[in-house]
Amino acid sequence: MNQPLAGVSVHIDVQAPLLSEADLAALKLELQDTYGMVVRGINIADKTGDSAASQVVERPRASRPARGDIEKTRVVRETIRSGQTEDFPEGNLIIYGDVNPGGEVSAGGDVIVLGSLRGSAHAGMNGKLTAVIVAMNLVPLQLQIGNYISRPFVGQKSRGYPEIARVGMQDVIIVEEFVKR
Amino acid sequence: MGKVIVVTSGKGGVGKTTSTANLGTALALIGKTVVVIDADVGLRNLDVVMGLENRIVYTSMDVIDNRCELTRALVKDRRVEGLTLLAASQKNNKDDIQPEQMKAICEELRSNNDFVLVDSPAGIESGFRNAAAGADEALVVTTPDVSAIRDADRITGLLQHEGVEPINLVLNRLSPEMVRKGNMVSKDDVVALLNLNLIGVVPEDRGVISSTNRGIPLVHDNSSQAAQAYMRIAKRLTGQRIPIPEIREKGFFSNILEWFSGNR
Repeated sequence: MNQPLAGVSVHIDVQAPLLSEADLAALKLELQDTYGMVVRGINIADKTGDSAASQVVERPRASRPARGDIEKTRVVRETIRSGQTEDFPEGNLIIYGDVNPGGEVSAGGDVIVLGSLRGSAHAGMNGKLTAVIVAMNLVPLQLQIGNYISRPFVGQKSRGYPEIARVGMQDVIIVEEFVKR
Repeated sequence: MGKVIVVTSGKGGVGKTTSTANLGTALALIGKTVVVIDADVGLRNLDVVMGLENRIVYTSMDVIDNRCELTRALVKDRRVEGLTLLAASQKNNKDDIQPEQMKAICEELRSNNDFVLVDSPAGIESGFRNAAAGADEALVVTTPDVSAIRDADRITGLLQHEGVEPINLVLNRLSPEMVRKGNMVSKDDVVALLNLNLIGVVPEDRGVISSTNRGIPLVHDNSSQAAQAYMRIAKRLTGQRIPIPEIREKGFFSNILEWFSGNR
């Protein structure tokens, strides 16, 4: 998925109080995380119809460690071939190579493949749903984040750019073009 | 000191034995001394493909059990100078040989031969481990279909774990017509996935079946594309740098020529 809206500033202006605060927070999060937009503020019209007090919803950022935190990461400098596995429950996993069909990589945190991911990957193997899977060429047999499993459409071809898989709002695994934050 | 090269694939039926027989013969034809070892104990084939079946007296099992000297167990191929076969026992099974025993045989043979080619059985169990035990290098044979490629990938991982290096790839039975129609995995896709050095591409050739049945390796008659491909691989194994040509589909005229030369 392309991200033509990345970096665009928006103001959410709701004309009727149909959405709860939680809904609005989720909407803001989705605009920021999925589309890379910057939400400046949220206006909710009150019952008289006047555009009233601006309300900025705090964005929960528990998923990102504070600057300075050290996460454990294992770096694997070879291709994971059929029948081979690489598990790192303690943290993130970076593969300097491919993960071939029949190969499996699992990590407690993120899985990053600096090559083609053609096998299976499991991020957040201890239940961390904010974990992501990133690959330069993402054509997996199966992806798993936490306890969510997804598999691509049959005949999925390489798209030629890096992609990221994460758990989206509707509890499904979303795959889209990887764009730096 | 010669090189010990294991010819392996994981999957059965992709052409390990045919490749061993042809490469062994091709290396001998260009003046090298070669021993081909059948490591498929209990299901030996290499002797049949090479047409040496009826001349086997002793096998590698007899050598291991000290019933005969290693040099006496070698069967000479009389059609070409410098080519010998060490046959596998048909009466034993794969667990009757230990990797160290196989390694000892390979070590002894390499001291007075240029090449020792070990024809591995299919599978990843003890038969494969015995075959790979004494090898410095490997030829991984695959055909361009997904199951063979998957098994080649698996076996490559095991070979790398054993420290066998370099591992070269032989892509066998490539049909240019099927690749063009999109029904076959292309050469580039196979190489991209396996990430191995491609040492040769052997085109699909019906001549292989008749040569197997007659017990005369294809390379004795250098007219077919497959025979020429094996000759080129043999030369590359000796260190010559020969580019890999694109395999062309046979045109109308070459079909007619082959018809008249009785080489169909």
